[in-house]
Amino acid sequence: MILVVDALNKHVHGGILDEMFRLRARVFGERLGWDVKIEDGREIDEFDHLDPAYVIGLDEDDNVVACVRALQTTGPHMLADVFSDILQGQAPLRSATLWESTRFCVDTDRLMMTGRGAGTVSLATCELMVGSLEYARASGIEDIITVIDPVMNRVLKRSDNAPYDYVGATVQMGKTKALAALLDCSEERIARVRAFAGIEGDVFVDEDALSARRALRAKAASMSGNLSTEVLQYLIEQLDAATTEHEVSAALALAEQLVGPGNEPSGKAVAAE
Amino acid sequence: MKPLDLGMIGNNSEESLQQILDNICAQFNLDYAAYAGVNTIDNSIHGVVNYPDAWKEHYVEQGFQDIDPTLAMAAKSVGVVDWTRLQKINGFRKVFCDASEFGIGSTGMTIPVRGPYGDRGMFSVVRSCSEAEWASLRKEIASGLQTHATLFHDRLMRNGRTMSAMRQPALSDREKEILQWIAAGKSQPDVGIILNISTRTVEVHLRSAREKLGALTTPQAVARAIGMGMIYPI
Repeated sequence: MILVVDALNKHVHGGILDEMFRLRARVFGERLGWDVKIEDGREIDEFDHLDPAYVIGLDEDDNVVACVRALQTTGPHMLADVFSDILQGQAPLRSATLWESTRFCVDTDRLMMTGRGAGTVSLATCELMVGSLEYARASGIEDIITVIDPVMNRVLKRSDNAPYDYVGATVQMGKTKALAALLDCSEERIARVRAFAGIEGDVFVDEDALSARRALRAKAASMSGNLSTEVLQYLIEQLDAATTEHEVSAALALAEQLVGPGNEPSGKAVAAE
Repeated sequence: MKPLDLGMIGNNSEESLQQILDNICAQFNLDYAAYAGVNTIDNSIHGVVNYPDAWKEHYVEQGFQDIDPTLAMAAKSVGVVDWTRLQKINGFRKVFCDASEFGIGSTGMTIPVRGPYGDRGMFSVVRSCSEAEWASLRKEIASGLQTHATLFHDRLMRNGRTMSAMRQPALSDREKEILQWIAAGKSQPDVGIILNISTRTVEVHLRSAREKLGALTTPQAVARAIGMGMIYPI
């Protein structure tokens, strides 16, 4: 499922953001060898302090498995600044209906380890693409310029999601190369990616239910062994199956009785585990 | 699209700005529009609304600007903030309860705008209608409103001599090349064929060039680019 985190809800999803910054450190720092700043195992740059929007892919257990960052091209963004090599000295595009997407990555290690191999990587990539395109489209955005490496470029082409054009040149960046690709946020493109990956229905996660599930898991983990995984699984299933407000509060009350009141752990608490 | 700001270039009197908001409301089927922005270079704050005077007075009297979540929260977003997302925040009920007494609805959205120097603004629109009507209207107008919101913001931020000097638009060679062919009378598909790029690529560069030149239409952008000596008159 897909979660969008921006300045309005980041205080609710601190743990998820923290996982995302660690994923970025593994991918951009270690795997791709880009010249990124890593502190405490987290990759955070100056654009993360400019209230960007993050589109985040979560697996069935609500772990972060993919992410991408969006910024308006009307304001400060990476192509205008740190990726200016790609543009070969040319002025960057600036348009109210064009967003820049950067730091697109997928946790291939986790997916290969737990999933059914390459299929889950492709699915997670496509779901993140669908989520980003639909999120942008809901804001009236017509195109996205995305900074990617050649591997991601091939993944896009293979997923019936080929860029319609490129801007500037492909330049060396760390162990790999980087380039800027253009994607339209049209219904047609979204339908193509959905069809390719077999994604149906709403890809966006229910935020309240997500917070409740994560709180439950964190609480259960902190009880270290006092709660069996079967009970935890049962409580989460109850929460997921609840459709009315009454059912949700009943499921939460049951959870509270068994594991006590829980809160979404802050980034620090997750890091300490 | 109507050339909203033709003849009003550089005229930032309150009447002309309100006139622009009125025109935008008429074009996009909206009741009211409001803009607020902060220029981070000279720290000036700009606000323009076309709400009824009685509501404006009440709003300031009650100090709603301090609790109105459409102001406090929305500017930090990247995407459009539909006001349903703000309903849980404390100030929302207080402000919008009172607003309804003045005939102002609570279905609306705020478009956050960012400028290149860290300047931020927000453009809010409101329309009294059912949620279903609003959902379909929103979908229809979001893209067009994005462009108007940015143009409005840029217009106010360009105010003053320092800012207008800093904002000499920087067009890429590709953008100039495309404008030059348009000035020579070629259509967008023609330009695509001449330059061996897709029509969509032509469109995305043209949109960017229009915005940098503060133009709403392509002819207006061509005229301004010629005026600034970026391309040749043909």
